[in-house]
Amino acid sequence: MKRSMVSVMILAAVLAFLYVPIILVVVYGFVPNGISMSFFGSDGSFLGFTGKWYRYIFTGHQSVRALLQSFWLSLIIAGLSTVASCAIGTTSALALHKWRGRLQSIHHALVYTPLIMPDILIGISLLMLFAACHVNCGFWTILIAHITFCVSYVAMTVLARLQDFDDRITEAAYDLGAGPWYAFFHVELPILLPGIVAGGLLAFTLSIDDVVITSFVNGAGTNTFPTYVSSMTKHSRNLPSVFALSTLMLVFTCVLVGLSKLITSKGQAKLKVKAS
Amino acid sequence: MSSPLRSRRAEWLVTAPSFLWLALFFAVPAVIVLAFTFHGHDISGGVGEWSLSTWRELVDPDYPAIIWNTIKISVEVTIWSIVLAVPCAYAIARMNPRWRAIVAGSIMLPFWTSFVVRVFAWKTMLHPDGWLQACCNLFSIGGGHSTILDSEAAVVLVSVYSFLPFAIMPLYTAAEKFDFSLLEAARDLGAKNFYAFRKIFLPGIRQGLVSAVLMVFIPAIGSYVIPQMLGGTNCVLIGNKIFMRAIQNRNIPHASALATVMAVSVLIPIGLAMWWKRRQDARDRQRLEAQTAKLFTAEGGAAK
Amino acid sequence: MNSEFLVFDHVTKRFGALTAVNDVSFSVKKGEFFSLLGPSGCGKTTLLRMLGGFEKPDSGRIYLEGRDITDLAPNERRVHTVFQNYALFPTMTIWDNIAFSLRLAKLPKKEIEEKVDAILDMIQMSEHAWKYPNQLSGGQKQRVAIARALVDRPKVLLLDEPLAALDLKLRQHMLLELDTIHDQVGITFMYVTHDQGEAMSLSDRIAVINRGRIEQLDGPAKIYEAPSSRFVASFIGDTNFFSGEIVAKDGDYCTIRPDGFPDIRAYNDKQLEVGQKVDLSVRPEKIRVTLAPPPPEKGASINVYPSTVQDIVYQGVYTKYWISSSGVRVAALKPHSRFLLDQEPITWNDKVFVWWHPDDGYMVESEK
Repeated sequence: MKRSMVSVMILAAVLAFLYVPIILVVVYGFVPNGISMSFFGSDGSFLGFTGKWYRYIFTGHQSVRALLQSFWLSLIIAGLSTVASCAIGTTSALALHKWRGRLQSIHHALVYTPLIMPDILIGISLLMLFAACHVNCGFWTILIAHITFCVSYVAMTVLARLQDFDDRITEAAYDLGAGPWYAFFHVELPILLPGIVAGGLLAFTLSIDDVVITSFVNGAGTNTFPTYVSSMTKHSRNLPSVFALSTLMLVFTCVLVGLSKLITSKGQAKLKVKAS
Repeated sequence: MSSPLRSRRAEWLVTAPSFLWLALFFAVPAVIVLAFTFHGHDISGGVGEWSLSTWRELVDPDYPAIIWNTIKISVEVTIWSIVLAVPCAYAIARMNPRWRAIVAGSIMLPFWTSFVVRVFAWKTMLHPDGWLQACCNLFSIGGGHSTILDSEAAVVLVSVYSFLPFAIMPLYTAAEKFDFSLLEAARDLGAKNFYAFRKIFLPGIRQGLVSAVLMVFIPAIGSYVIPQMLGGTNCVLIGNKIFMRAIQNRNIPHASALATVMAVSVLIPIGLAMWWKRRQDARDRQRLEAQTAKLFTAEGGAAK
Repeated sequence: MNSEFLVFDHVTKRFGALTAVNDVSFSVKKGEFFSLLGPSGCGKTTLLRMLGGFEKPDSGRIYLEGRDITDLAPNERRVHTVFQNYALFPTMTIWDNIAFSLRLAKLPKKEIEEKVDAILDMIQMSEHAWKYPNQLSGGQKQRVAIARALVDRPKVLLLDEPLAALDLKLRQHMLLELDTIHDQVGITFMYVTHDQGEAMSLSDRIAVINRGRIEQLDGPAKIYEAPSSRFVASFIGDTNFFSGEIVAKDGDYCTIRPDGFPDIRAYNDKQLEVGQKVDLSVRPEKIRVTLAPPPPEKGASINVYPSTVQDIVYQGVYTKYWISSSGVRVAALKPHSRFLLDQEPITWNDKVFVWWHPDDGYMVESEK
């Protein structure tokens, strides 16, 4: 098993490679000097850790106000585009699953192609559309762009779930007297829900993380968190606040995931108790 | 089925939302971009008359170099990612299921931090005053380059960092389905470890290899943020040029033409991969049919 | 149309070039346990799905209690299906699964509770009411699927290979249980299977289906003992076929001259004429295998052939012999009525006599 030791060592190195920036994100959140991004003064003395960036964030200090604004905008856009793309993506997956034919093969190509195109192309082409229609870029154009690239991801996630779906179950619902609407909302939707939730989570992550597409369609002055951060990389005194906010987000998501794991495992344990 | 949900009208109704949305916001814009490439550039920032001047200007010495550089860097990034990802996928797939879930999860964990922020952390790290640069200077790595930041090396490094998980995941999925007893069988028959790995394992996960290559190559070709933040003026890729032309110079035909070039350079490897997969499938089917036919004749013989 | 309970009237269904159901007509009595039996792809499931409303026939009508239900949607007919893979709703508890149709019918809450509890009691699943389907075993899922389909007392219960997914032991147990349930509820059961054993043990009547047509519709014993065609005889149970021509008639009997086999005497119930090509089916269990010739009191008219034993398969309840007689392989079953070792055992390459009474062969006219 010597050879597999080599692969394990490479894996360890890769994991370290992947985590070094994350660790730095956490560490840089405590940097006292926001310009040099250093823990050391110009004379080489250690300045210690500071919690002031966190304090700024929690108190809404004016130096981080724009950052927080962009963050809230990101959350709103991610939330709205998640809801919209879940609705559109789910109907899309249902159509792709239930019918076969010319219409659906075109439909499939429409849904699939955005997934294999670099996101910058979606950004530039939407910019061209908005320019051609003389639409002013801003909140709504960002939202439209985000929904556009999220729909495909949700549709494919739900479609994957539908592949395991047993059509006999829908037939059973009809057979027992349900109409199509009743069958959809009481039988199909609950089964698809995990798939829709997974697709929605993916959409939310993609939306909140997107910088390329947004920077094409945001117009002047409307910044989401990522575009704001990339605009402040040049000359800003408040860089550590970005790292502090990112650390908070990381902790928040970790706690959320941990909680959901705990709940599902507890649920399973409960079911086991009930079963026995 | 006679249920109303199966009728033609229902199909249109269910298909309409996504179909119309994507037609309007994906297909139509793509056509507009293509149409703009056949227009001249208007000094005022608009689109001029119909002409082929844009395509002629694309041969201008500046652009081919950028296109070539983008493809070269994308290939480099893809090779590095695959070379690192294959042993990782192999190692994860050989772990027991509990560890497998934990390690696979921790590969994805960095995604929970904003991409821009992570690239930004790299920028801080690679800064001439940063500790990584200091280390490099100490061991005199980097040779002639005085700094890592604002160089092609930085772009490749951080691109590999960003896209590596996309390469590991499909490879891991493929490796998980791989029957590792085949490797033992090969060793049993006298194959050296690495020979068995190369001749049995790699072909066994070829489906995953193809998707891993695409998963890295496509975003690398479309890369914009990484060269923007880490490449400086030394590493400008198609993505940056598109942004520059579209937003800063308001030269919409040029931006459109570059976007078209990018789309084509992505579609070629995808087309190749699809062609390859179709050929593989056809081969598998033929092989299966031949085997079944053999089986049937054998059975027929036995029945008599 | 007529007073029959359930009627298929010249029903035809095509899928592209394939005619799955070809001009089928039959009727089912109220309360009957009716089976559709045939090999896979014979059209039996299509028949069931047309009755359930999942497929529409290309021509012909289906009537239930005199009412034309051909064009009704599945949710508009009081016909429920037990699916092969159960198709229980995975996100609902067993209780909610069973209550599904009652809630749709908007029954008062109390009545729903009474009915669901009653049927849970009947299938002995009361203690599992709050489990989810994936926590049940195959047999339990099966019982829930039946209960769910029965709880609002449909006019007909359709069962699509309901036991196919169960292992042998469970299948035998469920057979008994199905029979009991049928007796308890008195609802018409329409049962689709490819397993002749299931059909035989449960059904009042069986329709044997082949290539989209009904080959024979009769009670189980009649189908076994008096198959109407070579297909039915070979599909239901094991049999030996002798194909030949009738060369002589004497009263109720006739003599058949098969190709490459000595003459055989057989009961000529259909009064077929000399010169008619026939297939004679002789079931293995009707053929005797003995080391000595048959005792004279059996009469001179029986068929006796000196033969050689080729293969012996011991199967516990009986032993199966493959015997070569005039170059033809004949299968015969011998039950173990006495302790095995009491008899002089028959072994490979023994010279034996195979014999059967002319009444034990059954003739069908050869298909062209």
